[in-house]
Amino acid sequence: GLIFLFYLVFYGFLAALFTFTMWVMLQTLSSDIPKYRDRISSPGLMISPKPDTALEFYFNKSDAQSYAEYVSTLRKFLESYDDSKQSQNINCTPGRIFDQNDVAVKKACRFNLSELGQCSGKEDKTFGYSKGTPCVLVKMNRIIGLKPEGEPRIYCTSKEEGMVEINYFPPEGLIDLMYFPYYGKSLHAHYLQPLVAVQLAINSNSTKEEIAIECKILGSPNLKNEDDRDKFLGRIAFKVQMTE
Amino acid sequence: IQDDHKLSTSELEEKYGTNINKGLSSARAAEILARDGPNSLTPPKATPEIVKFLKQMVGGFSILLWIGAVFSWISFGIQLAQGAESPFDNLYLGVVLALVVILTGIFAYYQEAKSTNIMASFSKMIPQQALVIRDAEKKELPADQLVVGDIVEIKGGDRIPADVRLIFTQGCKVDNSSLTGESEPQSRSCDFTHENPLETRNIAFYSTTCVEGTATGIVINTGDRTVIGRIASLASGVANEKTPIAIEIEHFVYLVAGVAISIGVLFFIISVSMRYKILDSIIFLIGIIVANVPEGLLATVTVSLSLTAKRMAKKNCLVKNLEAVETLGSTSIICSDKTGTLTQNRMTVAHLWFDNQIYSADTSEDQTTQPFDQSSPSWTALSKIVTLCNRAEFRPGQENLPIMKRVVVGDASETALLKFAEVILGDVMNIRARNKKVAEIPFNSTNKFQLSIHETDDPNDKRFLLVMKGAPERILERCSTIMINGKEEPLDSEKAEAFQTAYMELGGLGERVLGFCHLYLPEKEFPDTYPFDTDSTNFPTSNLCFVGLLSMIDPPRSTVPDAVSKCRSAGIKVIMVTGDHPITAKAIAKSVGIISATSETVEDIAKRLNIPVEQVNRREATAAVVNGMELKDMSLQQLDEILCNHSEIVFARTSPQQKLIIVEGCQRQGAVVAVTGDGVNDSPALKKADIGIAMGIAGSDAAKNAADMVLLDDNFASIVTGVEEGRLIFDNLKKTIAYTLTKNIAELCPFLIYIIASIPMPIGTITILFIDLGTDIIPSVALAYEKAESDIMNRRPRNKRKDRLVNEQLAVYSYLQIGIMQSVGAFVTYFTVYAEQGFLPSTLLGVRVNWENNAINDFEDSYGQEWTKYQRMYLQWTGYTAFFVSITIQQVADLIIRKTRRNSIFQQGLFRNKVIWVGIFSQIGIALILTYGLGHVTALNFTPLRFQYWFVAVPFAILIWVYDEVRKLLIRRYPGSWWDKNMYY
Repeated sequence: GLIFLFYLVFYGFLAALFTFTMWVMLQTLSSDIPKYRDRISSPGLMISPKPDTALEFYFNKSDAQSYAEYVSTLRKFLESYDDSKQSQNINCTPGRIFDQNDVAVKKACRFNLSELGQCSGKEDKTFGYSKGTPCVLVKMNRIIGLKPEGEPRIYCTSKEEGMVEINYFPPEGLIDLMYFPYYGKSLHAHYLQPLVAVQLAINSNSTKEEIAIECKILGSPNLKNEDDRDKFLGRIAFKVQMTE
Repeated sequence: IQDDHKLSTSELEEKYGTNINKGLSSARAAEILARDGPNSLTPPKATPEIVKFLKQMVGGFSILLWIGAVFSWISFGIQLAQGAESPFDNLYLGVVLALVVILTGIFAYYQEAKSTNIMASFSKMIPQQALVIRDAEKKELPADQLVVGDIVEIKGGDRIPADVRLIFTQGCKVDNSSLTGESEPQSRSCDFTHENPLETRNIAFYSTTCVEGTATGIVINTGDRTVIGRIASLASGVANEKTPIAIEIEHFVYLVAGVAISIGVLFFIISVSMRYKILDSIIFLIGIIVANVPEGLLATVTVSLSLTAKRMAKKNCLVKNLEAVETLGSTSIICSDKTGTLTQNRMTVAHLWFDNQIYSADTSEDQTTQPFDQSSPSWTALSKIVTLCNRAEFRPGQENLPIMKRVVVGDASETALLKFAEVILGDVMNIRARNKKVAEIPFNSTNKFQLSIHETDDPNDKRFLLVMKGAPERILERCSTIMINGKEEPLDSEKAEAFQTAYMELGGLGERVLGFCHLYLPEKEFPDTYPFDTDSTNFPTSNLCFVGLLSMIDPPRSTVPDAVSKCRSAGIKVIMVTGDHPITAKAIAKSVGIISATSETVEDIAKRLNIPVEQVNRREATAAVVNGMELKDMSLQQLDEILCNHSEIVFARTSPQQKLIIVEGCQRQGAVVAVTGDGVNDSPALKKADIGIAMGIAGSDAAKNAADMVLLDDNFASIVTGVEEGRLIFDNLKKTIAYTLTKNIAELCPFLIYIIASIPMPIGTITILFIDLGTDIIPSVALAYEKAESDIMNRRPRNKRKDRLVNEQLAVYSYLQIGIMQSVGAFVTYFTVYAEQGFLPSTLLGVRVNWENNAINDFEDSYGQEWTKYQRMYLQWTGYTAFFVSITIQQVADLIIRKTRRNSIFQQGLFRNKVIWVGIFSQIGIALILTYGLGHVTALNFTPLRFQYWFVAVPFAILIWVYDEVRKLLIRRYPGSWWDKNMYY
């Protein structure tokens, strides 16, 4: 009995101590930006839709069921980019870093879906999957305070030459500097990160073949894309296999 | 069994096909040698090295780690088959685990081998030579070539090369002490004197020594068939018992392994039922095992033991078996030899009686003067007899040595007298030269006296001086007067009575008494030229003048009484087991305190109350002197009763077999028994004992082989320092284990919380190994250098059934209190690292699956930032490092609190044990190297850490220290309380 009581008090005390120290620690943190950002100095690349297991797309362009999930994922992903959701967002000056350090309320820049052209889902509801020109959206990971230098753009290559023709929206895969920097979830609530749509026009000879695509960020000296260990830092590799 | 002692020479010749003059032929001897094998004792079978090595590989926790390694490889195989991305992690982990087992195994094996090697030097015997008659020629042969039927010649100083039936002797005396323990030389002749071959005079036994004289004999037994060989093989028949510390470590291993396996299996079930994949669950299981097993501990224990062994070697206790280091500490009964161990192993004059008064002499090891009153003219007369009536002489060339250390040619009594005279009178040889000896009758057993006639050194006195010494009653018979204060007075009945009283008193002290008398021969009857003839005794040998008595004893070593009383206060019973006479044994026992001044034996009580021995209440007697003859007729129950009821016991006139029975009796009482011995005959008892202690100087090889420990100086007092070291190491091992076990909880909790709360893994398996085998090793060894908290020689020996090395309190306090505190501290650091990088604690809960998903490279933190898998992994390793650093920092506090179990650290002194600080600096140094030096080696999962994270756990470290001080304070304040019972380990 006594021993039970002892441990009750002992662990109660430790739990209280733990809670207290955690509380003190959390008090030292800002709710806007993390204390340190050195572990994510350079952004990773990610694509949407993202197949469940590995980054491998398998679909049959004549079978709507086979790509239905990709389409719905894209649709869902782009919902937040819908014009109706962007009413508060402002039109920023393209080509320039949109510095709002001195402003209390950070504005978000508008990203027009129309910039994604054929991959915006407006004309082609299947994002090109039914035509054998599937769209993949490439996005750069959000990192608070990141200001890319130069003219960052997404550039994709295929290992197998001649199998696929790659188109970019916006043209040349440019990522506009006006979307940077990001000020964090709480300050920058309506922030939308810029997207680059990559349309893969798969050569009709190359159906049933697995096509390996690698996309990289180019044109910006402070965005890494060659890290030995991190295969997603400024680059992403995925595979597409289309059947008819 | 054999009746060779009853046979006549010719019967023997026939039996062994030999000829006493020609010996065997070489060809015949070779035949017999081929049949019987060499004449040497078969050494005990040594465990093959490979078996010893393999034992290290599978002993202790090794099995558990092997299981971990095998599981790792299995999951590697499965992952490889499934084509997972990084299956090699598990392969490496398995390899690392296997390496850990192999390396710690090699280390332990090396440590063991090193301590065994010290002993190997002892076993190298100088090949003995024997003088044999073969092919009618005398030949010098190695003794191991002897065969049955060989005729050997033996002379004084030789070791008897085999069991020999003597056929010719001349003044031959043998020292049978290596066989019977009796140090008195026994004469040998060709006569059949006793039915028992062991008692008869015409057999000399292998390994005994011939003290003086010469003899020729027929070899009747060789090698293992000799009497001593049979005793030695009795020893190898005695199984080696597990040492107490081995039992304790086994208990501890079972405990920890039990905890590891049950937590492992429990969480395996939990994780399976939480729908983790089986493969993941297996990996968790490996992690839990690795976290739970103190990989470095057994190596640490070995190092601590060998450190103590080294320290003991400096104090003249050489430890053969590392574990025996502690055994001495738990010893509750010491069965000690008398001769050489408790005593100085040399006869020394202890008392004198002249002028109707008993004087005591100094018997210490390094006497230079004698304090008793030397003014009486009687003493002058006595000293003259002592000096002159003595055949012993110093070996030349020892003038610079202390008198007591000089080598003397002569028997034990004469040596004692010579040294005694030399101390008091100075140059004895010169005195003898000035009093030229003209005639002499040496001592023999029929007349029991020794006589010599000298010229005197007084130029005015032309008389001859006849001096005589011998058995007191025989000497007194020959006297008609007695010297009192230098004057000759008639020996009346009153004076004879006084003599009797003194004689009885000295005899009662167990001392060997000699009487001395002299006579100045009248000048007229014995002029200068008188032809003294010792054969016809043409001089008077009666009506002499009695001068005095001298009594001699092999005195106790001066350090022994103190050592015995230390044993007593340490709760260790010292039992004397000797082959000597009960009276001598009892006297020595009394003088060293084995029988204390106030205790009485049954016989003493009977004498005091003047009642028959049978009527004495045996319970009243605290002491007992048991004769070997009585022991022979005793049942085991009776022996148990004696061992149980008497606290002070002396066994006298015991045989080797009886020594074994006594040891077994003590062990039946539940005692941990230490036995000292030197002879071959002691080896069974040495082996049977929990710890056998052989004498380094006087000990035979067989004894050293059978023993666990060798006393280099043959001194009982060294045993006491051994006991002290043994107890200290037991206490310190407790501390080491408590220290080591604590952090296992801090290593285990991360796994459990990882499984249950699905947070990112707080600490990696490899990181854990770096704690267990890196930062923690030197500190845990450093605890072996800790001084005792209180006088460990003032408490009773531990009860081997109750006082465990790792008891419930130790495990509970380490696991459930300090260990949990450490975990809390480490988790605070872990959460701080994550929170400051953007993952608030609330975000971390339940993220495991996504966190570890290789395909998710835009994992969102609490601030909306997105992380790739590698960025998360790198953060996770930072978490590992932070967790590791926190454990290290708190282990510093743990190390400090483990310095004492009861006393405050401030009582113990924070800086007295410098090695602890070496430990602390090494711990922090290794952590710094791992974090900043190897922080870029990905495989090790360490990353450079922000400096402030080293201090997050510091308040918890301080809390641990303060909490433990409070615990100790309450234990000291309220002994016996609930707190004391539950919190003292």
